[in-house]
Amino acid sequence: MVQVYFEDINVGEEIPQLKKNCSTQQLVLWAAGSGDFYQIHYYKDFAQSTGLKGLIVHGALKNAFLGQLLHDWIGEKGELRRFGCSYRGMDEPNQDILCRGVVTKKYQDGGKNMVELDVWTEKPDGKKTSPGTAVVTLPSKA
Amino acid sequence: MADDFEITDEMKAQIGQETEPWTYEVTTTGVRMYARGIGSTDPVHYDVDFAKKQGFRSIVAPYGFLGTPVFHPDTNDGTFGFPRRAGGPRLNLPFKGLLDGGTETEYFDVICAGDVLEETSHLADIKARGNMVFLTNESVYKDKASGKVVAKQRLTSIHM
Repeated sequence: MVQVYFEDINVGEEIPQLKKNCSTQQLVLWAAGSGDFYQIHYYKDFAQSTGLKGLIVHGALKNAFLGQLLHDWIGEKGELRRFGCSYRGMDEPNQDILCRGVVTKKYQDGGKNMVELDVWTEKPDGKKTSPGTAVVTLPSKA
Repeated sequence: MADDFEITDEMKAQIGQETEPWTYEVTTTGVRMYARGIGSTDPVHYDVDFAKKQGFRSIVAPYGFLGTPVFHPDTNDGTFGFPRRAGGPRLNLPFKGLLDGGTETEYFDVICAGDVLEETSHLADIKARGNMVFLTNESVYKDKASGKVVAKQRLTSIHM
C-alpha cells in the first residue's frame, strides 16, 4: 500500500474511490460480523411487509464502507480520529455503491497533521445516500 | 401538515441517564468476520503475524467495529444482539417501523483483537419530525484493563 503524506494533498482534491456492490451473501456476512440480524436485509417478504420495496443494505455497513475508504487511503501511518454519516437514502443489493471523499481542510494541531474530509456513498445515478464527514491525521515527509 | 409526535417531558427527562456497563469483546474471530462482511482484503484485519510486524498488538478492528456485546438469551435482543440492561431510557414509543438514521464514531486509540471493552450509553437527544421520532444514543467504550476511553459512538435511530 502506498503511504499518502500530508504534503501531498490539497483542499478540494478527491481521494481514491472505493466501489462496492453487495450481494445478499455479503449482507448476511456483515450481519454475522455486526450482530445485526434485522430481517429487512435478507428476508424479502419481511422487508416488503414493513413497506420497503425489497431488501436494503444496512446503513451501518455503508458507514463501515466509508471507514474502509478512509483506512485504505490514510495507510498504516495515518490515524482516523472521527468519521460518521447520516443515512438519507436506501441502497439495494446488487447495485454499485461508490464510496467517495474530498479534502475540505488541512491544518496542524498539537504537532499533528490534521485533514478533514466530506465523505459519502453514491448510487449509480449520482444520488448521495450516506453523506458524512471525517477527521484523520497523516504523516509528514519531514 | 400533521402535528409533530409529542415528545413528553417524561421522555425528555430520560436524556443523559446512563445504563449499567456492558462488556464488548474484540476477538480475532469477530474482527475477521467483520472484515469479511465489509469485503476488506487488508491482511492487517486477518493475519496476526502481519499485524504484529506493523506494530499492532494483534489484528486491527475495521473502523465501525467496536467489538461484540456479550450475549445471553435472557438479556440480549434476539435480532440486534444489543443488551437490555438496567438504567438507560424506557420510552415505550408506539411505533413498529425502525430505520437506522446515522452513525458517528470518534476514536482515541486503535482497537485490536484481544481488547475487552466496557460500554455505557445514554440517550443524548430525542426529537420528532411529523410522525417520526429520532433518537440519538451515545455510547462510551473504555478499555477494561486500563480504564482509558478508546471510542465514542453516536447512533441515531428513526422510529415511525
